[in-house]
Amino acid sequence: MKWRCTLIQRWLPAYPDGDLPSFWQGMVRSHLEKCPACREELAGLEAVIMNLKAAPRPEPDQAFWDNFNRELHLKLAQSVQSAPSVPEPPPARSFKIPYYLLGAPALAGLLLWVAFGYLNPERPGLPPQPQLSQEQKALEKTPAAPRLAAPVPVPAPEKSEAVVMVSQNGHDMHGEDDLDLDGDLDSTLAGMTETEREAFLKKVRQHEKDGSCTRKSLAVSWA
Amino acid sequence: MTDPQLVARAQEGDLPAFEELVKKYQREIYGLAYRLVLDAEEAKDLTQQAFMQAFVHIKGFRQQAQFRTWLFRIAINQCYNYLKNRKKFGDPVDCDEYVLVGEDSPEEELVAQEDHRRLYAALSRLPAKQRAVITLKLEQGLSYEEISKVLGGTAGAARVNYCQALKTLKKYMQNEDDYEVAVHPYTKMVTRVSRR
Repeated sequence: MKWRCTLIQRWLPAYPDGDLPSFWQGMVRSHLEKCPACREELAGLEAVIMNLKAAPRPEPDQAFWDNFNRELHLKLAQSVQSAPSVPEPPPARSFKIPYYLLGAPALAGLLLWVAFGYLNPERPGLPPQPQLSQEQKALEKTPAAPRLAAPVPVPAPEKSEAVVMVSQNGHDMHGEDDLDLDGDLDSTLAGMTETEREAFLKKVRQHEKDGSCTRKSLAVSWA
Repeated sequence: MTDPQLVARAQEGDLPAFEELVKKYQREIYGLAYRLVLDAEEAKDLTQQAFMQAFVHIKGFRQQAQFRTWLFRIAINQCYNYLKNRKKFGDPVDCDEYVLVGEDSPEEELVAQEDHRRLYAALSRLPAKQRAVITLKLEQGLSYEEISKVLGGTAGAARVNYCQALKTLKKYMQNEDDYEVAVHPYTKMVTRVSRR
Protein backbone atom coordinates (compact mmCIF):
# COMPACT_ATOMS: atom_id res chain seq x y z
CA MET A 1 0.00 0.00 0.00
CA LYS A 2 1.30 3.35 -0.96
CA TRP A 3 1.73 6.05 1.59
CA ARG A 4 -0.90 8.11 -0.24
CA CYS A 5 -3.45 5.30 0.14
CA THR A 6 -2.72 5.10 3.87
CA LEU A 7 -3.28 8.82 4.17
CA ILE A 8 -6.51 8.76 2.18
CA GLN A 9 -7.94 5.71 3.94
CA ARG A 10 -7.77 7.50 7.26
CA TRP A 11 -10.55 9.79 6.02
CA LEU A 12 -12.57 7.30 3.99
CA PRO A 13 -15.30 6.56 6.58
CA ALA A 14 -16.29 10.24 6.69
CA TYR A 15 -16.19 10.65 2.91
CA PRO A 16 -19.65 9.32 1.90
CA ASP A 17 -21.48 11.84 4.13
CA GLY A 18 -19.40 14.75 2.89
CA ASP A 19 -18.28 15.54 6.44
CA LEU A 20 -14.67 16.14 5.47
CA PRO A 21 -13.12 19.56 5.01
CA SER A 22 -13.38 20.67 1.42
CA PHE A 23 -9.65 20.17 0.78
CA TRP A 24 -9.73 16.55 1.92
CA GLN A 25 -13.04 15.92 0.17
CA GLY A 26 -11.41 16.91 -3.15
CA MET A 27 -8.26 14.94 -2.41
CA VAL A 28 -10.19 11.76 -1.60
CA ARG A 29 -12.43 12.14 -4.65
CA SER A 30 -9.53 12.58 -7.05
CA HIS A 31 -7.63 9.70 -5.44
CA LEU A 32 -10.60 7.31 -5.63
CA GLU A 33 -10.86 7.90 -9.38
CA LYS A 34 -7.34 6.51 -9.79
CA CYS A 35 -6.96 3.90 -7.03
CA PRO A 36 -8.96 0.62 -7.19
CA ALA A 37 -7.69 -0.55 -3.78
CA CYS A 38 -9.12 2.49 -2.03
CA ARG A 39 -12.40 2.10 -3.96
CA GLU A 40 -12.59 -1.45 -2.63
CA GLU A 41 -11.90 -0.24 0.89
CA LEU A 42 -14.65 2.35 0.54
CA ALA A 43 -17.08 -0.28 -0.70
CA GLY A 44 -16.27 -2.43 2.34
CA LEU A 45 -16.90 0.49 4.70
CA GLU A 46 -20.19 1.32 3.01
CA ALA A 47 -21.24 -2.29 3.39
CA VAL A 48 -20.54 -2.09 7.12
CA ILE A 49 -22.57 1.13 7.36
CA MET A 50 -25.43 -0.46 5.46
CA ASN A 51 -25.26 -3.50 7.73
CA LEU A 52 -25.37 -1.28 10.80
CA LYS A 53 -28.30 0.72 9.54
CA ALA A 54 -30.15 -2.42 8.53
CA ALA A 55 -29.50 -4.14 11.85
CA PRO A 56 -32.73 -4.60 13.71
CA ARG A 57 -33.29 -2.09 16.42
CA PRO A 58 -35.14 -3.19 19.47
CA GLU A 59 -38.68 -2.00 18.96
CA PRO A 60 -40.61 -2.91 22.06
CA ASP A 61 -44.38 -2.92 21.84
CA GLN A 62 -46.74 -0.49 23.51
CA ALA A 63 -47.22 -2.74 26.53
CA PHE A 64 -43.47 -2.51 27.20
CA TRP A 65 -43.60 1.29 27.16
CA ASP A 66 -46.71 1.39 29.33
CA ASN A 67 -44.95 -0.77 31.87
CA PHE A 68 -41.79 1.33 31.52
CA ASN A 69 -43.67 4.59 32.13
CA ARG A 70 -45.58 3.17 35.09
CA GLU A 71 -42.38 1.98 36.79
CA LEU A 72 -40.61 5.25 36.08
CA HIS A 73 -43.56 7.28 37.37
CA LEU A 74 -43.47 5.36 40.65
CA LYS A 75 -39.73 5.90 41.01
CA LEU A 76 -40.01 9.60 40.22
CA ALA A 77 -42.91 10.08 42.66
CA GLN A 78 -40.90 8.29 45.37
CA SER A 79 -37.88 10.45 44.72
CA VAL A 80 -40.02 13.60 44.91
CA GLN A 81 -41.55 12.55 48.23
CA SER A 82 -38.57 11.00 49.97
CA ALA A 83 -35.57 12.84 48.69
CA PRO A 84 -34.67 16.12 50.34
CA SER A 85 -34.75 19.11 48.11
CA VAL A 86 -31.77 19.16 45.84
CA PRO A 87 -29.64 22.19 46.57
CA GLU A 88 -29.96 24.71 43.82
CA PRO A 89 -26.81 25.36 41.85
CA PRO A 90 -25.03 28.58 42.68
CA PRO A 91 -26.18 31.44 40.48
CA ALA A 92 -24.04 32.14 37.50
CA ARG A 93 -21.68 35.05 38.03
CA SER A 94 -22.77 38.03 36.03
CA PHE A 95 -19.23 39.42 35.96
CA LYS A 96 -17.32 36.56 34.45
CA ILE A 97 -13.60 36.71 35.04
CA PRO A 98 -11.51 33.58 35.39
CA TYR A 99 -10.47 32.95 38.94
CA TYR A 100 -6.78 32.98 38.07
CA LEU A 101 -7.18 36.56 36.80
CA LEU A 102 -8.72 37.62 40.09
CA GLY A 103 -5.55 36.48 41.82
CA ALA A 104 -3.37 39.04 40.01
CA PRO A 105 -4.97 42.19 41.50
CA ALA A 106 -5.07 40.47 44.88
CA LEU A 107 -1.33 39.79 44.65
CA ALA A 108 -0.64 43.36 43.54
CA GLY A 109 -2.64 44.67 46.50
CA LEU A 110 -0.72 42.44 48.88
CA LEU A 111 2.62 43.62 47.51
CA LEU A 112 1.56 47.26 47.81
CA TRP A 113 0.48 46.71 51.38
CA VAL A 114 3.80 45.08 52.27
CA ALA A 115 5.81 47.79 50.53
CA PHE A 116 3.80 50.56 52.20
CA GLY A 117 4.22 48.88 55.55
CA TYR A 118 8.02 48.84 55.19
CA LEU A 119 8.30 52.35 53.87
CA ASN A 120 5.99 53.86 56.46
CA PRO A 121 7.99 54.70 59.60
CA GLU A 122 4.90 54.53 61.80
CA ARG A 123 4.05 50.95 61.28
CA PRO A 124 1.00 50.06 63.31
CA GLY A 125 2.03 46.50 64.09
CA LEU A 126 5.43 47.29 65.63
CA PRO A 127 6.13 48.65 69.14
CA PRO A 128 7.42 52.22 69.20
CA GLN A 129 11.18 52.40 68.97
CA PRO A 130 12.90 54.45 71.66
CA GLN A 131 14.34 57.66 70.34
CA LEU A 132 18.09 57.38 70.23
CA SER A 133 20.14 60.37 70.98
CA GLN A 134 22.87 61.34 68.62
CA GLU A 135 25.46 60.14 71.07
CA GLN A 136 23.87 56.71 71.30
CA LYS A 137 23.79 56.46 67.55
CA ALA A 138 27.41 57.40 67.38
CA LEU A 139 28.25 54.72 69.93
CA GLU A 140 26.24 52.10 68.13
CA LYS A 141 28.13 52.80 64.96
CA THR A 142 31.43 52.15 66.80
CA PRO A 143 30.67 49.25 69.12
CA ALA A 144 34.29 48.17 69.44
CA ALA A 145 35.36 51.47 70.89
CA PRO A 146 36.37 51.41 74.56
CA ARG A 147 33.86 52.75 77.01
CA LEU A 148 36.04 55.41 78.48
CA ALA A 149 37.69 56.45 75.31
CA ALA A 150 38.34 59.98 74.41
CA PRO A 151 35.17 61.92 74.11
CA VAL A 152 33.65 61.92 70.71
CA PRO A 153 33.65 65.40 69.29
CA VAL A 154 29.96 66.00 69.40
CA PRO A 155 28.42 69.35 70.01
CA ALA A 156 28.21 69.93 73.68
CA PRO A 157 24.78 70.16 75.17
CA GLU A 158 23.56 73.68 75.62
CA LYS A 159 22.76 73.13 79.26
CA SER A 160 25.56 71.04 80.68
CA GLU A 161 24.34 71.17 84.25
CA ALA A 162 21.05 69.56 83.41
CA VAL A 163 20.23 66.33 85.19
CA VAL A 164 17.28 64.10 84.92
CA MET A 165 16.32 62.41 88.10
CA VAL A 166 14.40 59.25 87.86
CA SER A 167 12.69 58.02 90.96
CA GLN A 168 11.97 54.43 91.79
CA ASN A 169 8.26 54.85 91.59
CA GLY A 170 8.52 55.89 87.95
CA HIS A 171 7.84 59.62 88.28
CA ASP A 172 10.04 61.93 86.34
CA MET A 173 11.77 64.38 88.58
CA HIS A 174 13.12 66.91 86.20
CA GLY A 175 15.28 69.44 87.73
CA GLU A 176 15.14 73.09 87.02
CA ASP A 177 17.54 72.56 84.17
CA ASP A 178 16.25 69.79 82.00
CA LEU A 179 18.62 67.31 80.44
CA ASP A 180 17.18 64.21 78.89
CA LEU A 181 19.35 61.26 79.82
CA ASP A 182 17.00 58.44 79.02
CA GLY A 183 18.86 56.31 81.49
CA ASP A 184 22.08 55.93 79.46
CA LEU A 185 24.58 57.63 81.68
CA ASP A 186 27.71 56.45 79.87
CA SER A 187 26.77 58.08 76.59
CA THR A 188 25.98 61.26 78.42
CA LEU A 189 29.30 61.21 80.23
CA ALA A 190 31.16 60.47 77.02
CA GLY A 191 29.86 63.65 75.48
CA MET A 192 30.99 65.86 78.40
CA THR A 193 34.20 67.63 79.12
CA GLU A 194 36.11 66.83 82.30
CA THR A 195 34.66 69.67 84.31
CA GLU A 196 31.16 68.99 83.16
CA ARG A 197 31.54 65.34 84.08
CA GLU A 198 32.69 66.14 87.56
CA ALA A 199 29.84 68.55 88.09
CA PHE A 200 27.38 66.01 86.84
CA LEU A 201 28.68 63.23 89.09
CA LYS A 202 28.66 65.55 92.02
CA LYS A 203 25.03 66.33 91.46
CA VAL A 204 24.15 62.70 91.14
CA ARG A 205 25.92 61.87 94.43
CA GLN A 206 24.13 64.70 96.09
CA HIS A 207 20.80 63.35 94.95
CA GLU A 208 21.80 59.90 96.15
CA LYS A 209 22.43 61.33 99.58
CA ASP A 210 19.04 63.04 99.50
CA GLY A 211 17.44 59.75 98.60
CA SER A 212 15.62 61.12 95.62
CA CYS A 213 17.69 59.06 93.20
CA THR A 214 19.67 55.81 93.44
CA ARG A 215 22.24 54.31 91.22
CA LYS A 216 20.05 51.31 90.66
CA SER A 217 17.29 53.43 89.32
CA LEU A 218 19.52 54.84 86.66
CA ALA A 219 19.76 51.33 85.13
CA VAL A 220 23.26 51.78 83.87
CA SER A 221 26.49 50.09 84.70
CA TRP A 222 27.99 53.21 86.10
CA ALA A 223 30.65 52.74 88.69
CA MET B 1 -45.03 22.61 24.02
CA THR B 2 -41.34 23.01 23.17
CA ASP B 3 -38.45 21.43 25.00
CA PRO B 4 -37.27 24.63 26.77
CA GLN B 5 -40.78 25.27 28.09
CA LEU B 6 -41.13 21.69 29.33
CA VAL B 7 -37.67 21.85 30.89
CA ALA B 8 -38.50 25.15 32.62
CA ARG B 9 -41.66 23.64 34.09
CA ALA B 10 -39.80 20.48 35.11
CA GLN B 11 -37.22 22.64 36.85
CA GLU B 12 -40.01 24.06 38.98
CA GLY B 13 -40.89 20.51 40.04
CA ASP B 14 -43.67 19.83 37.56
CA LEU B 15 -43.65 16.01 37.24
CA PRO B 16 -46.13 15.75 34.32
CA ALA B 17 -43.96 18.12 32.28
CA PHE B 18 -40.95 15.91 32.89
CA GLU B 19 -42.95 12.84 31.93
CA GLU B 20 -43.75 14.54 28.65
CA LEU B 21 -40.04 14.81 28.02
CA VAL B 22 -39.61 11.16 28.99
CA LYS B 23 -42.22 10.06 26.46
CA LYS B 24 -40.57 12.16 23.79
CA TYR B 25 -37.07 10.75 24.20
CA GLN B 26 -37.49 7.32 25.77
CA ARG B 27 -37.17 5.41 22.48
CA GLU B 28 -33.95 7.16 21.49
CA ILE B 29 -32.39 6.67 24.89
CA TYR B 30 -33.44 3.06 24.99
CA GLY B 31 -31.99 2.43 21.52
CA LEU B 32 -28.72 4.07 22.52
CA ALA B 33 -28.48 2.09 25.73
CA TYR B 34 -29.29 -1.12 23.91
CA ARG B 35 -26.53 -0.55 21.38
CA LEU B 36 -24.05 0.18 24.13
CA VAL B 37 -24.80 -2.66 26.54
CA LEU B 38 -26.29 -5.14 24.03
CA ASP B 39 -28.84 -6.35 26.54
CA ALA B 40 -32.56 -5.52 26.31
CA GLU B 41 -33.36 -5.81 30.01
CA GLU B 42 -30.28 -3.88 31.10
CA ALA B 43 -31.03 -1.24 28.49
CA LYS B 44 -34.46 -0.73 30.03
CA ASP B 45 -33.02 -0.36 33.53
CA LEU B 46 -30.32 2.00 32.31
CA THR B 47 -32.88 4.12 30.47
CA GLN B 48 -34.91 4.46 33.65
CA GLN B 49 -31.81 5.32 35.63
CA ALA B 50 -30.84 7.94 33.08
CA PHE B 51 -34.24 9.62 33.35
CA MET B 52 -34.07 9.45 37.14
CA GLN B 53 -30.68 11.15 37.10
CA ALA B 54 -31.99 13.75 34.68
CA PHE B 55 -34.94 14.49 36.97
CA VAL B 56 -32.75 14.79 40.04
CA HIS B 57 -30.29 17.14 38.36
CA ILE B 58 -32.60 19.05 36.06
CA LYS B 59 -32.37 22.17 38.22
CA GLY B 60 -28.70 22.35 37.35
CA PHE B 61 -29.41 22.26 33.62
CA ARG B 62 -28.90 25.80 32.36
CA GLN B 63 -30.25 25.20 28.86
CA GLN B 64 -26.94 26.17 27.29
CA ALA B 65 -27.07 22.91 25.32
CA GLN B 66 -30.01 21.02 23.91
CA PHE B 67 -31.94 18.92 26.41
CA ARG B 68 -31.60 15.94 24.05
CA THR B 69 -27.81 16.21 24.00
CA TRP B 70 -27.70 16.54 27.78
CA LEU B 71 -29.89 13.47 28.12
CA PHE B 72 -27.67 11.48 25.77
CA ARG B 73 -24.70 12.38 27.88
CA ILE B 74 -26.37 11.17 31.07
CA ALA B 75 -27.43 7.92 29.40
CA ILE B 76 -23.96 7.28 28.03
CA ASN B 77 -22.40 7.88 31.44
CA GLN B 78 -24.84 5.39 32.95
CA CYS B 79 -23.91 2.85 30.30
CA TYR B 80 -20.19 3.43 30.84
CA ASN B 81 -20.62 2.81 34.55
CA TYR B 82 -22.58 -0.35 33.86
CA LEU B 83 -19.99 -1.62 31.40
CA LYS B 84 -17.20 -0.84 33.81
CA ASN B 85 -18.90 -2.84 36.56
CA ARG B 86 -19.68 -5.69 34.19
CA LYS B 87 -16.08 -5.82 33.10
CA LYS B 88 -15.00 -5.73 36.71
CA PHE B 89 -17.31 -8.44 37.98
CA GLY B 90 -17.49 -10.48 34.79
CA ASP B 91 -20.58 -10.98 32.72
CA PRO B 92 -19.68 -12.40 29.32
CA VAL B 93 -21.71 -11.30 26.34
CA ASP B 94 -23.41 -13.99 24.30
CA CYS B 95 -23.89 -12.55 20.84
CA ASP B 96 -26.49 -15.12 19.88
CA GLU B 97 -29.04 -13.30 22.05
CA TYR B 98 -29.09 -10.25 19.82
CA VAL B 99 -30.32 -11.81 16.57
CA LEU B 100 -33.85 -10.48 16.36
CA VAL B 101 -34.44 -10.44 12.62
CA GLY B 102 -37.27 -11.71 10.49
CA GLU B 103 -36.61 -11.62 6.75
CA ASP B 104 -38.65 -12.78 3.82
CA SER B 105 -37.22 -16.06 2.61
CA PRO B 106 -35.55 -18.63 4.86
CA GLU B 107 -32.27 -18.43 2.93
CA GLU B 108 -32.12 -14.66 3.16
CA GLU B 109 -33.05 -14.92 6.78
CA LEU B 110 -30.14 -17.24 7.43
CA VAL B 111 -27.70 -14.95 5.62
CA ALA B 112 -29.01 -11.89 7.42
CA GLN B 113 -28.84 -13.69 10.74
CA GLU B 114 -25.23 -14.59 10.11
CA ASP B 115 -24.41 -11.02 9.11
CA HIS B 116 -26.09 -9.61 12.18
CA ARG B 117 -24.45 -12.14 14.44
CA ARG B 118 -21.07 -11.12 13.12
CA LEU B 119 -22.00 -7.45 13.41
CA TYR B 120 -23.06 -7.74 17.05
CA ALA B 121 -20.04 -9.86 17.88
CA ALA B 122 -17.79 -7.24 16.31
CA LEU B 123 -19.68 -4.43 18.07
CA SER B 124 -19.25 -6.14 21.41
CA ARG B 125 -15.48 -6.16 20.86
CA LEU B 126 -15.33 -2.43 20.17
CA PRO B 127 -14.44 -0.07 22.99
CA ALA B 128 -17.50 1.56 24.54
CA LYS B 129 -16.60 5.02 23.27
CA GLN B 130 -16.28 3.87 19.69
CA ARG B 131 -19.57 2.01 19.98
CA ALA B 132 -21.16 5.18 21.31
CA VAL B 133 -19.81 7.35 18.52
CA ILE B 134 -21.03 4.91 15.85
CA THR B 135 -24.49 4.74 17.41
CA LEU B 136 -24.77 8.50 17.80
CA LYS B 137 -23.63 9.12 14.23
CA LEU B 138 -25.42 6.40 12.30
CA GLU B 139 -28.54 5.75 14.34
CA GLN B 140 -29.26 9.02 16.14
CA GLY B 141 -27.99 11.12 13.24
CA LEU B 142 -25.99 13.56 15.37
CA SER B 143 -23.41 15.81 13.77
CA TYR B 144 -19.80 15.70 14.89
CA GLU B 145 -20.35 18.93 16.78
CA GLU B 146 -23.22 17.40 18.74
CA ILE B 147 -21.28 14.18 19.29
CA SER B 148 -18.43 16.20 20.73
CA LYS B 149 -20.87 17.84 23.16
CA VAL B 150 -22.14 14.44 24.27
CA LEU B 151 -18.83 12.62 24.52
CA GLY B 152 -16.53 15.54 25.20
CA GLY B 153 -13.61 16.70 23.07
CA THR B 154 -13.78 18.51 19.78
CA ALA B 155 -15.72 17.91 16.58
CA GLY B 156 -12.48 16.94 14.83
CA ALA B 157 -11.75 14.39 17.53
CA ALA B 158 -15.25 12.97 17.13
CA ARG B 159 -14.69 12.58 13.39
CA VAL B 160 -11.36 10.83 13.90
CA ASN B 161 -12.97 8.59 16.51
CA TYR B 162 -15.80 7.72 14.14
CA CYS B 163 -13.42 6.91 11.26
CA GLN B 164 -11.30 4.75 13.52
CA ALA B 165 -14.35 2.98 14.93
CA LEU B 166 -15.75 2.15 11.52
CA LYS B 167 -12.45 0.81 10.24
CA THR B 168 -12.01 -1.29 13.38
CA LEU B 169 -15.55 -2.63 13.05
CA LYS B 170 -14.92 -3.62 9.44
CA LYS B 171 -11.73 -5.38 10.44
CA TYR B 172 -13.45 -7.23 13.28
CA MET B 173 -16.28 -8.31 11.01
CA GLN B 174 -13.82 -9.71 8.48
CA ASN B 175 -11.88 -11.55 11.15
CA GLU B 176 -14.84 -12.61 13.22
CA ASP B 177 -14.60 -16.30 12.38
CA ASP B 178 -10.91 -16.40 13.25
CA TYR B 179 -11.69 -14.61 16.49
CA GLU B 180 -14.43 -17.11 17.33
CA VAL B 181 -12.01 -20.00 16.95
CA ALA B 182 -9.33 -18.20 18.93
CA VAL B 183 -11.59 -17.26 21.81
CA HIS B 184 -13.66 -20.41 22.02
CA PRO B 185 -11.59 -23.59 21.74
CA TYR B 186 -12.76 -26.57 19.69
CA THR B 187 -14.45 -28.40 22.54
CA LYS B 188 -16.50 -25.34 23.49
CA MET B 189 -17.49 -24.78 19.88
CA VAL B 190 -18.69 -28.38 19.64
CA THR B 191 -20.70 -27.95 22.81
CA ARG B 192 -22.28 -24.76 21.52
CA VAL B 193 -23.20 -26.41 18.22
CA SER B 194 -24.58 -29.54 19.83
CA ARG B 195 -26.81 -27.50 22.14
CA ARG B 196 -28.43 -25.90 19.15
